[in-house]
Amino acid sequence: MTKTIIHFILLAVVLLLVQVVCNKVMLLGIAMPIVFIYVIMRLPVSLHVNWVLTIAFLLGLIVDVFNDTPGMNALSCTLLAALCRPMFRAYAPRDIQEDGLLPSMLSMGGWSYFKYALTLTLFYVAVLFLIQAFTLRDWLLTLERIGASAALSLVLILGIDSLVNTGHGEGL
Amino acid sequence: MKNLIDFFLRHSAWAVFLLYAVLSIVMLVGSRNPYQQRVWLTSANAVSSTVYGAMGAVTGYFNLHSINADLEQRNAALEMELVDLRMQLRELRLQLPDSTFDQPSLNNYRLLPALVISNSVALTHNHVTIDRGSADGLEPQMGVVDRGGVVGVVEVTSSHAARLISLLNPDISVSCKLKDSDYFGRLIWEGGDPRYATLDQLPKHTVYEVGDTIVTSGYSDMFPEGIRVGTVVGKAHEVSAGDVQLRIKLGTDFSRLSEVRVIVNGRSAELRKLENGNLPESDKSKTPVGTYSNSSRP
Repeated sequence: MTKTIIHFILLAVVLLLVQVVCNKVMLLGIAMPIVFIYVIMRLPVSLHVNWVLTIAFLLGLIVDVFNDTPGMNALSCTLLAALCRPMFRAYAPRDIQEDGLLPSMLSMGGWSYFKYALTLTLFYVAVLFLIQAFTLRDWLLTLERIGASAALSLVLILGIDSLVNTGHGEGL
Repeated sequence: MKNLIDFFLRHSAWAVFLLYAVLSIVMLVGSRNPYQQRVWLTSANAVSSTVYGAMGAVTGYFNLHSINADLEQRNAALEMELVDLRMQLRELRLQLPDSTFDQPSLNNYRLLPALVISNSVALTHNHVTIDRGSADGLEPQMGVVDRGGVVGVVEVTSSHAARLISLLNPDISVSCKLKDSDYFGRLIWEGGDPRYATLDQLPKHTVYEVGDTIVTSGYSDMFPEGIRVGTVVGKAHEVSAGDVQLRIKLGTDFSRLSEVRVIVNGRSAELRKLENGNLPESDKSKTPVGTYSNSSRP
């Protein structure tokens, strides 16, 4: 248990630092990589929803402080955290044992995890960019940014998931 | 009573969710109010400025080649201008032997070099964080420039870092004018491409040409007159009935911002007092420099 918590904290610190760098990147002017939400998606299914919401809110707030976007990521993360469990139940195979389970390609199966990650990433990116675009006139650019950023982030999140899961049981 | 407590315990997730959502929205709405930020909630706080400082120490080297090329080009242009100005000065001195050519108004400004440790261009409200703070004499509402032109205005300071409102932020606008014709207007960035901004509120009869230089008008104490801002690339696509709007290519390349200069105006306190309608005290030397006031926002 303690080992899992330490692993989670390490994963969160590393992904937050990567995110701080990623926040300055906008590939082709439209695609921003968002990787730290992987930590929220990976929280154990059995963890009480209050903890999921709190961890998500704090992670979002840290990114906001670094990125000078107070409230933007915190709000998006809170909404994402509320959606995590329903999405897991919608996509995970029926016979799966939920106790202490960490959502991943290994535990849910590749296709189920892909759908889970795709829905959550697209939701997060859409909320984030729509909040940002509140004062903007260029809706087409916002839609392009949502599509491109979600695609790029999804690829990175699937990559991180296969790196974190070593294949020798649940590494993290 | 027991039922009530049971009810709240059963639905505590909703309460927690609403609490965080409301907190986020309060921060989101609060952030629309520049100069009123809590410094620990910005990238100028001690932890993030240290992290950004360490990152900047590594990434700062990546752009050195292009920065050097830019500097050489700018240096060459300045040398040419210097030669030209010296010649003009000599000619004028011959015409008016008794006059003095010092400009006392410019003596009040001091430039303080600083390094950019964090910067964004992709957001709708962008900010820049620099490695100088109140310990170096920085205060809110000081102007900041780089070798290309205007960068932004100091918003909040901690002791060794400061956050600027970038020019790429609709929260600020800068009073600018066409260098050759002196028509003045308001430069504002409305989102989208970080290389272009709009100069609006120009009078209908403004005469301009593509390629004309835009400089600061000097109407605010943050930027002295004549600092380069950009060049005209054409008419902006949205033109209201009353005024002319020009599309401006900004002189500052915000995607490669690294070294900037903070403009410290020795007489800003005095000027703000005047703007507030109070005459300066007789003992001006004791007036604190750069007192914050809401009325002199850019």
